[in-house]
Amino acid sequence: MDVKILCLTRGGEGSYPNQDKAIAIAKERGQEMMFLYISNIEFLHHTAAPKVIDIEAELDELGEFMLLMAQERACNEDVTAHILVRRGFFQEVLSDVIEEFNIETVILGSSSGETGIITEEYLHDVTCELHLKYEVEFIILHEGKILKTYRVETGDSGCLDGQFED
Amino acid sequence: MINLFLIIKRINPVRVFLNVPFAVFLLLALLVSIPGETLAADQPPPNEGDFVIIGQLLDEQGQAVKDAVVTASTLDGEYALAETESLEDGTWRIFLVEVPPEELQISINHPRFVPVTLTFKMHELEDLDNVGLYQVGELELERSFNAGFWAATLIFIGVLLLIALEKLHSTTAALAGMSAVFLISYVGSLFDPGFFIFTFDRGLSYINWEVIFLVMGMMIIVAIIEATGIFQWMAFQAYRLSRGRNWLLVLILIAITAFASALLDNFTTMLLMTPISLQIGLALGIHPIALIIPQILASNIGGISTLVGTPTNILIGAYANITFTDFLVNQTIGVIFALIAMSAFILFHYRKDFFKKSADISPALYQRLEENARMEDPQNLWKAGTVFLLVIIGFILGEQVHLSPAVPAIIGATILLIWLKPDVHQMIIAVDWTTLVFFMALFVVVGAIQEVGLLGLAASSMANLIGDNLPLGIFMIVFGVGTLSTIIANIPLAAAMLPIVDFLTVLIPGADSKVLFYALSMGAAMGGNGTLIGGEANLVTAGITNQTNTPITFREFLKVGLPVTYISLAIGFLWLLVRF
Repeated sequence: MDVKILCLTRGGEGSYPNQDKAIAIAKERGQEMMFLYISNIEFLHHTAAPKVIDIEAELDELGEFMLLMAQERACNEDVTAHILVRRGFFQEVLSDVIEEFNIETVILGSSSGETGIITEEYLHDVTCELHLKYEVEFIILHEGKILKTYRVETGDSGCLDGQFED
Repeated sequence: MINLFLIIKRINPVRVFLNVPFAVFLLLALLVSIPGETLAADQPPPNEGDFVIIGQLLDEQGQAVKDAVVTASTLDGEYALAETESLEDGTWRIFLVEVPPEELQISINHPRFVPVTLTFKMHELEDLDNVGLYQVGELELERSFNAGFWAATLIFIGVLLLIALEKLHSTTAALAGMSAVFLISYVGSLFDPGFFIFTFDRGLSYINWEVIFLVMGMMIIVAIIEATGIFQWMAFQAYRLSRGRNWLLVLILIAITAFASALLDNFTTMLLMTPISLQIGLALGIHPIALIIPQILASNIGGISTLVGTPTNILIGAYANITFTDFLVNQTIGVIFALIAMSAFILFHYRKDFFKKSADISPALYQRLEENARMEDPQNLWKAGTVFLLVIIGFILGEQVHLSPAVPAIIGATILLIWLKPDVHQMIIAVDWTTLVFFMALFVVVGAIQEVGLLGLAASSMANLIGDNLPLGIFMIVFGVGTLSTIIANIPLAAAMLPIVDFLTVLIPGADSKVLFYALSMGAAMGGNGTLIGGEANLVTAGITNQTNTPITFREFLKVGLPVTYISLAIGFLWLLVRF
């Protein structure tokens, strides 16, 4: 598998514009891509109701189904897309996958506000940290448009809020 | 000995003491062990003799007041003649060796009531002298809104807020409340006796073990049944049967969810139905929320039909001796009407999704959907189903011999564990002990506010408002509890309402049919549909949908949930009027 582009997605209709943009980027560059779904059941930790079923397995299957839909969308554009479901926390999983597959570009959506799983600030911090650690390009999308790009420029020592593109 | 010496040698006392939690614990232990004026007491005078004075102590609800200290003394309380405590039924007996020649004082003291002093004059004493017995009769004590009252009230409100605002896990919040109650009782009372709420033993007496064991038994049975994948399979069959007619799909899903929730807890039902329903919705090209929200609403309503359908029904059934059959007979038709009305509203509200042409699904996605909805273990399913059926029969037959439903539930769960899961570790993790501890701690916290009279106050206020008007009483409970339940966690709310409803049941003519308890059942469950925070099944479903960027916002839920809540409450109210 020679995957260079990693796209994090939660699936669902709200993610379609960003998925389509990620597919377009992969097509433009002629590279294979991978859709990643991160499953996390931390939202259950505050409840007192019985949690006696294996909900993690259910969420994994849900995630896989979402990614299959994304994979079909990529296939319709003649882009080869692999899918991967992992459990855990956002930064840890992302870090592991980047390392495991030698990812060069990470594409993810910006925080979705009150319904987002992570805040804008957290996203920025994680992105900067991983961008500098792995020298990986990060592209942040919002409603199908590129919001921010983090590129490793020769001589750059910091994480710049960079270049805004259409 | 050598090991102990080594251990002690390793301990740095300074570091240990500087550990703040340990220091606090040590300080409290020292405080509790110091004999204070309130704890140390002179030996009370012996309660013996040939002359006896009898009385009974009641609170404003006519409930017996236990553990009140009753002291007989001479004029001005100078010299104590005898002392006793009131019993479980509120009665007390003071025995005197001889009748005092002049006045006799009887002092009655209880931490939660205003002290009372009765003075017996000479002619009353002559009666005692002649007959050897004097009956004081029933005496209603006035509540004292002392430090303990306010402490227990604030603790209860604090627990509700901690749960509602998700500052702490629900179980932790309940445990914190319980700990605060005992801390205030034992430590606070050293400084002011008014802080005393109840003893540890008394606190534990509020735990309803029938509820604990019934929940535990059903938990195990539910875990085994739902692990078979039966609900995901049923959801997929609904998708197949509907053949692209989205309106039919949602109606079938509503029916499945309501039925499942009637027999198994709605929280776990939604945990299982939501992922597969999301997949079906996306595959069909309809907004998945149009399928998910109706299922949430159906799960909250459907569970009202049976004893085990909702945790609140389990609480109510155990407290008021309402059986499985009672719930089934008295609630089901009302629930069906409410579901029909709900379905009509849903079909109208989401008409654009339900009456549009479904998207075609690719063979690969269809196959994946089918795989995700397969039954994991058909063999376990028939075994679990058989045992579950026997448990239901056990509920019904057990009613004839006043057998607690906890018994068939525990027996059924044990049979399933032995039959299907011989691994002890698996047995342990099949039970969600966190939930059981939540119930136990909650019982103690609610017991505290009952003990200090907060619930009695509420009951009296409601009784004054309702008078003899039973329909008004039903209305107030259905809609009052229903409205509160939209924002307050329904389990603690229902637990707190039980003594109030019990009091009203005794007071209001015609309420002995237990209609007010059914009203509580309807209000507590249906109210959970009002807002996203109204029920745990709502929140967990929203948590799952959020994982897929298909969020259920508070506003979106409110637009559907609030109207459905009041429609179903109205139907529930009318049904109860007709039924009773």
